[in-house]
Parts: sequence; structure tokens; C-alpha cells
Amino acid sequence: MSATVAPGEPPARRSASTVAWSLPARAIATFSGTPGLVLKLVLLGLLNALSLWAATILARDGHWVAVGVLAAVTLAVDAIYLSSRRAVPLKFLIPGTLFLVAFQLVPIAYNVNIAFTNWSTGHQLTKVEAIDGIKRNSLAPPEDGRTYTMAAARDADGELVLVLVDEATGDPFVGTRDGLRPLPEGSVALDEMGLVQRAEGYRLLRGQELVAADPALQSYVVPTGDAAIRPEGLELAVELAPTLVYDAEADTFTRKENGVVFRDNGRGSFVAASGEELEPGWRTNVGAHNFRRVAADPLIRAPFVRVFIWTIAFATLTVLLSFALGLFLAIALDRKGMRFLRTYRSLLVIPYAVPAFLSLLVWQGLLNDDFGVVNRVLHLDVPWLFDANWAKASIVLVSLWLTFPYFFLISLGALQSIPAELVEAARVDGAGPLQVFRKITLPLLLIAVAPLLIASFAFNFNNFGNIYFLTGGGPASNDQDVAGATDILISYTYKLAFEAGKGQDFGLASAISIAIFFIVGTISVVSFWRTRALENVR
Amino acid sequence: MTKRITRALMGMLTVAGTAVLLVAPSATAAPASGSTVTNTTIRIWSDRDRKPAVERVAAAWAASRGVTVEVVEKDFGKIRDDLKTVQAATAPDVIVGAHDWTGELAADGSVVPIIPRAAVSKQFPGYALDAFSYGTSVKRLYGAPVALENIGLVVNTKLAKVPTDFASLQKQALAFKRKKAGNLAIAVPQGANGDAYHMYPFFSGLCGYVFGTNKSGTLNPKNIGLRSPRFLANTPIIDGWNKTGLVNSKVDYGTAKDAFLKGKAAFWITGPWESDTLKQSGISFRIVQVPAIKCKSVPFLGVQGFMVTKFAKQHGVETFAKNLVGDYMMSASAQRSLAAANGRYPANTTAGKQVSDRVLQQFGAAGTGGVPMPNIPQMAAVWSELGGAWVKSTKGAGATKARPAFTTAARNIAAKIG
Repeated sequence: MSATVAPGEPPARRSASTVAWSLPARAIATFSGTPGLVLKLVLLGLLNALSLWAATILARDGHWVAVGVLAAVTLAVDAIYLSSRRAVPLKFLIPGTLFLVAFQLVPIAYNVNIAFTNWSTGHQLTKVEAIDGIKRNSLAPPEDGRTYTMAAARDADGELVLVLVDEATGDPFVGTRDGLRPLPEGSVALDEMGLVQRAEGYRLLRGQELVAADPALQSYVVPTGDAAIRPEGLELAVELAPTLVYDAEADTFTRKENGVVFRDNGRGSFVAASGEELEPGWRTNVGAHNFRRVAADPLIRAPFVRVFIWTIAFATLTVLLSFALGLFLAIALDRKGMRFLRTYRSLLVIPYAVPAFLSLLVWQGLLNDDFGVVNRVLHLDVPWLFDANWAKASIVLVSLWLTFPYFFLISLGALQSIPAELVEAARVDGAGPLQVFRKITLPLLLIAVAPLLIASFAFNFNNFGNIYFLTGGGPASNDQDVAGATDILISYTYKLAFEAGKGQDFGLASAISIAIFFIVGTISVVSFWRTRALENVR
Repeated sequence: MTKRITRALMGMLTVAGTAVLLVAPSATAAPASGSTVTNTTIRIWSDRDRKPAVERVAAAWAASRGVTVEVVEKDFGKIRDDLKTVQAATAPDVIVGAHDWTGELAADGSVVPIIPRAAVSKQFPGYALDAFSYGTSVKRLYGAPVALENIGLVVNTKLAKVPTDFASLQKQALAFKRKKAGNLAIAVPQGANGDAYHMYPFFSGLCGYVFGTNKSGTLNPKNIGLRSPRFLANTPIIDGWNKTGLVNSKVDYGTAKDAFLKGKAAFWITGPWESDTLKQSGISFRIVQVPAIKCKSVPFLGVQGFMVTKFAKQHGVETFAKNLVGDYMMSASAQRSLAAANGRYPANTTAGKQVSDRVLQQFGAAGTGGVPMPNIPQMAAVWSELGGAWVKSTKGAGATKARPAFTTAARNIAAKIG
């Protein structure tokens, strides 16, 4: 059959390609006239509108560098598409480049940037905000500190004052920024709710006037010696005294009670000599601190080798087994004229079509060793998820289930591209099916599939979902460290960055992910380099 | 040449013109809406269940104050995460939250302390206010408690008597388990990843605790109760449970629920989120606290409530937000509708007395003396380790002895906290 078609093939292919080329060519021709110009101008107009809109928002938030970059890029795009001949290559390069920058380079740069900061729980603010926060959180009622029923009011001069009624004694006062002054008894009336109803000589703020006074009220302070009366909400004022005093000159906090001094430790916190830390801290650059932790922290170092070996084993086994099974099924279903061929092929793709996290949770139930279907149906007593070694086997098996359809599809496609003449020639020369597979099919297949095997390895190396949803890294390994028996590097990173210290540590997480990137990158580069040898088969 | 330049210039003009035409309407619209004073808005982030009640309660307050309230629906867990990254312009002034977020959000400086009036605070049990209090230096209140939740022991009264002491619970549960293959003694969920929350009554019953307290009453992350001598002395009891199968870590949430509903377990440990399931099951049941073992077997308490964010100040509505949260939301009437909206017991005791739902009442009673989940951020290091220790020591054959399991967990927690 191939012999009859072969002579006719080349001309047919050429004519097909000329048709394929002429279509875009014709399309380009259509759009290069006036309609094309109009379309181009409209699209550029939309782009410019988008940029202008983005620029106003960025400018409002004070991101001037971003505004500059945005303006430069927009003007450059306009210039490139409006200029005629000279920039033609750029017209094709620009969209891809922009997307590359936006979705690859910017996230990487952002990640690297975070790795050099202390961004984590307790380090979210700027230093100025943090100092404010510490001052505010350190306020405490002094001994015999009083609370007052409060109403914001204006005095005869229109100044904002606080009309206050001592909650314990019922004595009326007026609080100003200068201090507390008693009012004559009976000059302030309370309503049935116990709130200030009116005050002689003062006009109480209501409605919109009160709304407008909020910013002033927030920071209103009535000094009473060491302490001060501050509004708490709209109807209550509380006498509070700071327990920590900030010295702006020395940039230190001092605890009033015992004179302990808290100094800026250079990593976003005020810390005392005893190690006590004031909260909140602030977000700041900490240099290579996170990377030093990756290298030196016993929490990371102790289980590293074990976790690393398991990560490699998990990724390798998943890829190789899935490829073997996928290829086997692809060859088995590559026969022409088999009944229900489409049905078989569709059924095999199902694990790939179902969202992975769903299958993972279902598998978790199926593999439960007392109540799961697998053990009950097969009359087994295997501790699938509760024993360290079995859990590893379960992870590989479930990953195999999730991954083989991918390789089945890939192999099915790649098999079609292997010239039938080669196989036939080998058969004529007396090669058995196994020999044909080993000497002809597999080598030719690998040319196409090897890069995908490497990509799949890199993906599985960081396959957080499979681990997290099936075993959560567990069961706890009996060699007594924090990493569970099935934790791979990325799931262990998650434990370190989000379940240690004070919860979330984005800086450390970024630093470790950069380290993992270099590991995966090295492995991939070496592998790609070695697969070049495969090309020599041809 | 000149023709080409003219063409390019014309093109640029058209492009710029289109851009201005498109942007101009939105640009002029923006300041107009911001400049009118009547539009002062308090933005609240709420979960879906509570949103209608929050809208109703807050709207009544807003009307009396001359402001408006906008309630934004968020996935409950997302409220905490999104607060870290939200832009100030769209940030909330008030959030619905769980008390165990308090430490993290306060350490971040994302929420600000509130002080309710003494007359208002008096209406709340001390632990509910304590649950929202945090401070490494000075302990302050960061949230208004609204709803309480805790787990209890649900007893199928057709299959077992309500146990008055732990020995009776143990005897009945084991007898029921032996009756038929596939029966569970106590249906308490764990599963491969562990569940320290549902196991807490057994942990506290053996005198375990998570974190001890400082003199000032704040939690001390260096004092880890998983390795307290009193608890460790009681760990052989866990080994005994493992041997008899009283507690089995292979039971996960689905298995436990299924077993109880199908009559394959007479005892189930669960919380008020299963109220509707219980009512619709047709099973006659009663909810009690797990009977004391060596100490009182109290559950973890979860408290949900409202917090004022740091953004309220920037938005110029802080005193209003504090009034809403620290005063209005804490009143008995507001608490009734807010707690009911989520099927929980109200934190306000006056409102609590008016609860007529039998199931909620029984869950409320089962929480007596309970311990609020630690609200310090270091708690993140505890869950998987404490759960893991239970999984290891109650997995049946091949289980680790409880003493080393919990000692290891304590060491890991200490290492993770650093």
C-alpha cells in the first residue's frame, strides 16, 4: 500500500503547503489596505487606552518607575506598528517578547526579589507603620485608669473637643488637646442608653459632621500626665498609657516598667538583648540571610539527602513507569482494524481528563487500609498510606495512574511518524518483533519523546499536588525529623515555609524555590545535552 | 518621504485620540463619586453563610450613623490570606474572622486593638474575649466574638446509654465494636494526615495541652505541653486504646460520619456543622462532653467574630468601624442573628440564653471549660505534628508507642518554631 502512494506523495504535499501559505498571504494582503490600517489604528487605540488607564492607577499609587516603563513600552509598540518597512521583524517579535517578559521574567524577578527580603508573618508593614503599630499595641490602662462615655463636639470657637462623662463617678469633663477640664455638674445630660445627649455650651457632632471628623478623632489625644485619653469608637474614651517609649534619635524602644531596650536588629524587628521581639515588625531587605538559612539550618540540612534521594526516585519512577505503560498500551492499540479501538483509547485517557486533585482524594479513600475498597476487594491487608515504604509505593502507583495517559497519547502520535518501510525492511531482514522494537521503534520514538520525558521529570520533581493531596508528606518517618516519609523537596519546602516559625515565611520559601530551580535546571540541562546523542540514530 | 511622515503622524493622532476618548469618561467619573461626602462607606469582608445577616445587621447600624456599608463576599479562609496582599483602595475596614487568626494578623499589624465598654464586655464569657486577645508585650483585644463552636460526643441513644464516666464509655464502645465486624468503637476522625482538632478531647483528658502560659497570661510557644510529664505519664493509656481498638487512626472523616449514620458506631465526635445531618438522620441522639479520663476531656473552642483592619484608619472611618465592631456587633440582638446565620452558638451570654435549638444547646454544653485553640502564629507548627503523633500511635498493628510518638512530635514542634 505504501508503495503505491509513495510516488504521488511529494507533489501532493507541495501543493498542500502552497495552499496553506497562500491563505495567510491573502489575509495579509486584505489587511494591508485601508481596512487593515483602520483595524490597526483601532487595536493600537485600545492598547493605548488600556495603558493610559493603567498609568492613571499606577500614578495614583505613586509607582512612577512603572508608569515610565509602561509609557516607554506603549510608545515603542506604537512606533513599531506605525512605522512602515524598517521594523517588520520587530512587528512579529514584539507580542511574544512582551508575553515572555510579563509571564516569565517578571514573576522570576519578583520571586528573586522576595528571596532577599524577610517577608513573612509579622513582617508586612513599612518601618514607619510598624513603629506606629508597636506604639499603639503597647498602650495599656494605667493604674486607676478611667473610662469615659464620650461624644465628639465643637466648642464655641468651633474647635473639636471631647465631651466626657466618667463611667465610674458620673462626673462631666471636657477633653481638649491641652488636657482634661471639669464641667459644672448637670451640664451634660445622658439618654436612657447611657450615651451623651447634650452638653451645655457645646454642639455635639452628628451625622455627616461626625463622619467628616473621623480622621481627627482617630488621632485625638487628651493628655493626662503620663497617660492620655483617647477615643475608642464613637461613644467611649479610654485613658491609656504607653508601656513602651520610642526614642526617635536612637531608634530604640524602651520598656517603661524595667528599662529593657529594644534595638533594630537589621532584619525588620526591634529586639531586646534577651531575644524578646516586639510585634509588628517590618518588611525589609535582609540580603542573603534566607540563603544562609537554607545552607545552615539543621531543619533543612538534616533530612535533605533523604528527601532529595526520594524526590529523584519519585520523579524517575513516575516518568519511566508511566512511559513504559503508556508505550505498551499505545503499541497494543496501534493495530489497524481492531474493534472498539476508539472506545479503548478514550477509556485510557480518562485518568488524564479528570482533575488530578479529585483523583488524588478519591485514591486516598480507596487506599485506606481498613475501610478502603482496594484492600477489601482484593482481600489484602496492606497499610497503603500508614507505612512509610508502602506510602511511597502508593504515591508512585497513583502518580503512574495520573501520568500514563499522557505518555499513551504521546506515544500513539509518535508511533504514526515512524516510517512503516523501516519496520518492514527490518522484518524482511529477519528481525523478530522484540528486535524491531529495540532497534527500530524505540530509538526513533525516543527522538521525539525524550525531551518530553525530561519535561515530565522536571514537572514531577516539583509535583506538590500528588504528595500534598495523597499523603500530605506523611506518614511521619520513624527516623525522627520533620520531613515525612513521602515528602519531596517542594512539599517539604511548604512545611518549612508555612508550618514553621510564625506560620508564613515567603522569603524563605522563595529562597528554597530558587535553590530547587537550580537543581531541576541542572538536571534538565545535562539530560538535554545527553539526548543529543539520540539524534545520531538517524 | 514627507507623505510617509504625514501618514505616521496622522496614525499617532488617531491612536492617541481613541485612547483619550476611551479613558476620559472613566477618568472624569472617578473623582465625582469620591468627592461627595454622603458616600462614606465601611467595607466588610464576610463569608457566604453570614453575608445576609451581616448586611442586615450592619445596614441598621449604618442608617443610624449616616454611612453606608458594603459587604463583600469572600471564601472564609481567603479573608486572612487576601488581607496580606490587598491594595489599600479596595481593602476592607472590617473582616469576619476566626479567633485563631488573631496572633498572625496582630503580628502582621493588619488588625488593630479594640476596647468595648465594660457594660458590653460583661456580657461575654472570659474565654471568648481571651480567644481574641493577643500580645507578646501587652495583651490586647483584637476582635469582637460573635459565634462559638466546639465538638462534642454524639451518642446514639438507641445503641448505647449516655456515658457518665469514661469507663462506661469505653466498656459500651468496645462491646458494640465486638458485636459485629465493621463496627467502630468511637467514630473519631483522623485519617492518614491526622486530625489534632477532633482528637483534642482525648489529649486534654490525658492532661495534655498545646502551649503553656506566661505569668502575664499570654501563651508561651516555648512551653510545649505534648511533652509535659503529666501527659507523658498517661500515654500508656493510649497504647491500651490502640490495642483494644477504642480509637483507630485509619478512620477518616467520611468513614466516621458514615459509620455513625449507618448505625455502625454508637459514638461520634463531631461539631455543630453536622447539626442538619444529625437532625435529618432520624437517629435519636444526645450530645455530651467526652467524660473525664485523667483530667477533664474538654474540646478545643473555636470563636468567630469581627475585627477592625489597619485600613480603616487610612480610609478615615476607624472610629466608625470600632463603634460597629466593638459596640454594635457585640450587642445581644446583633449577636443572635449573626450566630444563627451560621448555625452556631452566640458568644454573647444574654443572646446564648435565648437559643432554643436543642442541638446547639447540647453542643454549647459540651464545650463547658473548653480551651480556645491557641491563637499565636506558632500554632501553625503544631497541627500536623500533634495529629501525626496520634496517627502513629493509634494505627493498630505496627503502631509506635505513644510516649516516643508524642515526644518526637514535641521535639519537631520546638525545632519548627525555632
